[in-house]
Amino acid sequence: METILRSEEMAEIMLLPVRHHSPACALHIKKTIEQFQPAAVLVEGPDNANCLLPVMVHEETKAPFAIYYSYHDKTGKIAGEKEHYKCYYPFLAYSPELLAVKEADKRGIKAAFIDLPYGDILAASGEGRGLLKEEEKNNYNDDYLLTRNEYIKRLCEKARLRNFDEFWEKYFELNGLYEDSGTWFSHLLTYCRLARENTPPEILMEEGCLAREEHMAARIVQWALAERNGEKQARNRILVVTGGFHTPGLVERLSGDKWEETKAAASRLSGKHADKEQSVYLMPYSMEAADALNGYASGMPFSGFYQKVWENFEKDEEPYKAAVLDLLTTSGKEVRKKEGTVSTYDEICAWQMAQGLGTLRGKPQPGAYELLDAVLSSYIKGEYNIASDMPVRILKKLMQGRGTGSLCGMADVPPILHDFESQCKSFGLKIHSTLETEITLSVFSNKKHRNISRFFHRMVFLDTAFARRIKGPNLQLKKNLNLIREIWKYKWNTRVPAALIDVSVHGATIEEAAVSLVREQLKKDMSAGSAASLLTQVFEMGLKGQLEAVYGRVHELILEEGDFYAIADAVKSLTMMEELDSLYQSGLELGALLDTGVQKMIALLPSMTQIRDENLEESMDALKMLNRIAGRSSIDLGSKREGYYEALAKMQTDVQIHPGLNGCICGILYGSGKKSADAVEKTCRGYLTGTRKQLMQTAFFFRGLFCTAKDLIFIGNSMTGMLDNFFGQVDEEEFMELLPQLRMAFTYFTPAETDKIAQMAAQLHGKDREDITQRSEIMPDWYAYGRELDCYAQACMMERKTVQKSACD
Amino acid sequence: MQESIKPPVEVRYKEELEALKATDTGNRPANWQMSPKAVRTFILGSPRPIIYEGKEYRIEKKYFGNDALIERCIITLAGNRGLMLVGEPGTAKTMLSELLSAAISGVSTNTIQGTAGTTEDMIKYSWNYALLLAKGPSREALVPSPLYVGMEKGILTRFEEITRTPAEIQDSLISVLSDKVLNVPELGDEGLLFACQGFNVIGTANTRDKGVNEMSSALKRRFNFETVTPVREAALEKQIIINEVDKLAKESGIRMEPDEDVAELLASTYHELREGISSYGHRIDKPAAVMSTAEAVSVYYQTMLTGYYYKEGRMDVDCLVQNLVGAISKENKEDLEKVKGYFNTVIKDKSGKEGGLWKQYYEARKWLK
Repeated sequence: METILRSEEMAEIMLLPVRHHSPACALHIKKTIEQFQPAAVLVEGPDNANCLLPVMVHEETKAPFAIYYSYHDKTGKIAGEKEHYKCYYPFLAYSPELLAVKEADKRGIKAAFIDLPYGDILAASGEGRGLLKEEEKNNYNDDYLLTRNEYIKRLCEKARLRNFDEFWEKYFELNGLYEDSGTWFSHLLTYCRLARENTPPEILMEEGCLAREEHMAARIVQWALAERNGEKQARNRILVVTGGFHTPGLVERLSGDKWEETKAAASRLSGKHADKEQSVYLMPYSMEAADALNGYASGMPFSGFYQKVWENFEKDEEPYKAAVLDLLTTSGKEVRKKEGTVSTYDEICAWQMAQGLGTLRGKPQPGAYELLDAVLSSYIKGEYNIASDMPVRILKKLMQGRGTGSLCGMADVPPILHDFESQCKSFGLKIHSTLETEITLSVFSNKKHRNISRFFHRMVFLDTAFARRIKGPNLQLKKNLNLIREIWKYKWNTRVPAALIDVSVHGATIEEAAVSLVREQLKKDMSAGSAASLLTQVFEMGLKGQLEAVYGRVHELILEEGDFYAIADAVKSLTMMEELDSLYQSGLELGALLDTGVQKMIALLPSMTQIRDENLEESMDALKMLNRIAGRSSIDLGSKREGYYEALAKMQTDVQIHPGLNGCICGILYGSGKKSADAVEKTCRGYLTGTRKQLMQTAFFFRGLFCTAKDLIFIGNSMTGMLDNFFGQVDEEEFMELLPQLRMAFTYFTPAETDKIAQMAAQLHGKDREDITQRSEIMPDWYAYGRELDCYAQACMMERKTVQKSACD
Repeated sequence: MQESIKPPVEVRYKEELEALKATDTGNRPANWQMSPKAVRTFILGSPRPIIYEGKEYRIEKKYFGNDALIERCIITLAGNRGLMLVGEPGTAKTMLSELLSAAISGVSTNTIQGTAGTTEDMIKYSWNYALLLAKGPSREALVPSPLYVGMEKGILTRFEEITRTPAEIQDSLISVLSDKVLNVPELGDEGLLFACQGFNVIGTANTRDKGVNEMSSALKRRFNFETVTPVREAALEKQIIINEVDKLAKESGIRMEPDEDVAELLASTYHELREGISSYGHRIDKPAAVMSTAEAVSVYYQTMLTGYYYKEGRMDVDCLVQNLVGAISKENKEDLEKVKGYFNTVIKDKSGKEGGLWKQYYEARKWLK
């Protein structure tokens, strides 16, 4: 530790370097506070979170939790785009910073955060650096500067340790247990100085470190002056707990060349609080999210393991040993449950391995890496690969820990949560029950129900895991559109407030947040289809004000879009909404948008002739939809209609056209009177009399044709004749190959129609209806046998399904 | 006496082993020649030389790759279970098992070489029939197997290619490994051989052909498995090629220094073909043949021999490519096409950007047929 005494006028400043989420560090912080009884404890953290300290130290508040900082850049201070920013400052039970404020509270010592407010840190960071990094979750206490540089790489190589985390565990965590606090902190400080020396100054600047240190130093001086010695008292001390990386920087500012600068800055510093655009809240956090190995690098990995170690500190002489043994047996038990191959003897061997490795590697107790090695070599039988690594995966999950923290009742919550509660109250939704409640909403007849549905849709859109729709029209998938009721299930759980706090940066009410998120989505790249799908969501959420904006974006995207199917998807959503408008009453005029979409589709049509088999269904749907829209009288599509038929006719001139598509077009043109039945037959005969390969394509042609004009088959006998001719030409093997397509072709007919076709076919061969429907008698025994076989096969399949399912689980 | 082609590890590193033994201060498991720490130093090398009898011994790194794996191996051998090294061919499993037994027991030759024809008496014991007929069953007439010797003397027994022996024969190890006793019923009351402290088994098994899947789970449970993976860094692979080739050259009395640039060329070729991606980011089709470092060493060494005897001590890139073809087209013809593709994309780009040797290498692609 570094002690600085500037003058008689000031309290003594004691700087303690820490590493976030380090149990040994927490232990030494506790001891140091006990030993020195400081007058104040200052902790690294944006100072606009000071109001949260009472909640953080409250005995009902359980870690892990995080401070959630949000900032709405209304003035464009950070970037031209006035965006929303947020970051997290997670605390685990053994986080040194948390322990420092808790210990201070226990002893009636003042405590405060001293870093720049969140918004100012953002302003001080270079683009894409520090807290402006493009990550899903930004962490305030990301200490990668301490763990990643050339010096550290060399150090680990030299110490023969696989990475920095192992280095840290060996020299600071394990050895740290046997050192006094003074030595421990001085070792850490030495290490931090070296790490800092190996970080280029421009990086310090870009990461926003320098601006933050300047502010922290000024705050420290302010506190040191405020806590100056009383006349009779002994010397006062203030304890400053910051990330080790900053300690050398602070020392320089408090005692080195920059002292005058710091003093001046301290006098300028007012007690003013951050602007309105910034807000801070506490939110429960999960162990999974806190684990550094989970993608959000911050602090140490294996939070679950270290949590156990921390819990063992009080009750065990050798906390690591106990934690390793504990996890070895727990993971062994879990592996046994899943695979059943780990015996107690395996566990004994693993335990011997962990201890032996600890000794060989010169560690006083086995640690996380010995635990991993022990499981790797004793629990895995055979080659270590993706199929056999289950024990290691189970162990890693256990080492990560599970569970979420909770906050005490007095914790302040963002306005969005109040809005949520008041809305639930006004709708009469039960949010104090832990059981899932089902509710049926008549969305089109009952205004209140419509509002509840909108509320649920908004909650779904905000990804809060509060409500889920069990039944009802699904506008995104365009399914169940005939239903007039929605059935929802909802349940309040701890994830709901966390998720709401998470989106609170976007607005004070659920509606505001949803609106803001819609706007954000609009800025992203997306296809016309997904934009139209967003439009349906906005429609469901009842965000009328946003419809225009999304509408505009869909328009823009349709114009830009070059993919036929994406436009078809969008047009489909739009027609659906137009049709449902009388129910939903959005009052949105979709005509112009549809017009653009249809026009664009028609323009793209001629290039869509050579499609792949798997796209046939989609293409036929698009053609049929166009046909439907073109046939409508409500929109003036007169000129379009002609254009559409022309495009279709043009498509047919391409000899390479997909036969299914060709059939489909034939049907449409026949239906609209543009093509005679004879012409269609001629096209069909073309395939039938073509080369072998073309003949085989006839099944596709029939499928397309029946999809749009199935009545053709009932006009005269020629169509059935052609079909008959076709079947006559293929041999049995080829027929089996064609069967799936043929089946698809005949699905367009109703049973009565199929019956009629059969009759026609029978007549062609000089038989009657009865002749082909009549079947020979089946012996009851045969039937019983067949039934039994069927049941057996079904049971076998069910069994396999459950086995597969449990294997997947 | 004529020198052998490849002296055993304990002979090759005799002085190093003696120096380590003499300066070893760590705790030794019973019957071990040195402490686990010294074993680790022997295999992974030490940054500082060891001074012994006024002489400096530099302990070089003998195994490149995963250091934690070596530590686990050593601890396993000090414990109650056997050690099974599994992995692709050419990942230095055998070398590792030799190093371990030479360091721990002072002998690396107490070995059972597993084949399809291995029988139970090769694993346990057999008889000298002349003596058996003359004197009846006695210890004198018994011909001990390496396993018997290991148990009797308290040293390690190596079992090479264990999965090549039939599963029933492998299973004769089960009771020996768990009870640490071998029963010779013919010897009557004196027929029980209890294993001395220090005895253990190191098995090696290849995952390419007949895998460890066919091993009975009862036997599997008597072993701790360690999977040896190919070296993941091209720079390390180059270092291994140079070290190994140098060793081979010295043993055969070839006075020629390995060429670093050629080694780099070969290391990156093997590395990229194995990983399926080049250092420039090209995606490459992986050949089915084993692309191990050991193969790269042998390609280099062959080229070196040709250079030494025919090309006035010069490494010839054309010859290197010819040897590469020989090494790769072992399994199927498609592999050669893949290598051709590799030359036409990656090596072409490299020859354009780096020039020099890479250019020669690219030009030598004419031999790829």
